[in-house]
Amino acid sequence: MKHWTENDFKEWLYGLKDEDQHLKECAECRGESERLRMTRARMMELPEVSQEFLAAQRRSIYRRLHEPRHTWFTLRWALPVAMVLLMAFGVTLQRARRSAAVISDEQLFSDLTAIEQSAEPKAIAPMHKLFEE
Amino acid sequence: MGVMADRLGTSLDTQTSTREFGSWMAAEQRRIFLLCRRMLQDFEEADSATQDTFLKAWQALNRPEFKEIDDAGRWVTRIAVNTCLDRLRSRRWQFWRKRPNQEDEQSILELAAAVGPNAEDRVFGGEIGQRLENALEKLSLRQRAAFTLRHYEDRSLAEIAEILDLDIGTVKAHLFRAIAKLREELHDLYFRE
Repeated sequence: MKHWTENDFKEWLYGLKDEDQHLKECAECRGESERLRMTRARMMELPEVSQEFLAAQRRSIYRRLHEPRHTWFTLRWALPVAMVLLMAFGVTLQRARRSAAVISDEQLFSDLTAIEQSAEPKAIAPMHKLFEE
Repeated sequence: MGVMADRLGTSLDTQTSTREFGSWMAAEQRRIFLLCRRMLQDFEEADSATQDTFLKAWQALNRPEFKEIDDAGRWVTRIAVNTCLDRLRSRRWQFWRKRPNQEDEQSILELAAAVGPNAEDRVFGGEIGQRLENALEKLSLRQRAAFTLRHYEDRSLAEIAEILDLDIGTVKAHLFRAIAKLREELHDLYFRE
């Protein structure tokens, strides 16, 4: 005869295992199950909470029951929506500026020719300034 | 229609309704507060969640489209569990959030807890019980909710499924995992000599 294991008892206590024939017939397991049932019953007793604390909590709840809902509560979606709209506006504006800043082909070729014809890179120019008297 | 639904029906005028609601709230308050405390592991947040729970219940009762409820206790438990789950979910984003230190928490608890029936029960509930409550942190939100409802409220699997809006198989799976994660604490609770 195989006795119930600790796991069997735990699962039974939490409703995950039904009583089987063994538990009904085995005095040892039956006794253990009774002991566990009593332990569990003691654990389920609600601990005391002070009456003063509960009364204060009730007063606070009563106060809130009759409080009108704050305006911000009804408008709680307004801020995120405004932020999203602002971001969308910013992105659109940025794109518009970029497209306006596109230089013409003529200007591009002119700049490239100037670079090509230059003997030294433009970046050197400030260095020259340092040695000028 | 259950008794509570009669007492809390929307046909009552506001003043009577407030009184009736108050007496029902007083009857459920301690249980709901303790449920919130076990779920949230934080005294002040549990206080706030309890208040939110009853406020939501009041608002629901006063909606014109409010439907009758069969079991007001289960209904308010469902509101409380969902309120706690919402708070636990938003807690994940509050990385700056700091738990009150152990001493502060202990002194708050001492203020709220009255003296228990006898010393043995206090030690029993205090040591192993506290360890088990702390160990609930190991569980996922659904596991914590399922285990709390089963362990502390002795709810049936069908009730837990209804409260959490899950099917019974899923509740069983959550409970299996919860029991496995709490193996040591449950061993000490039930089997330590």
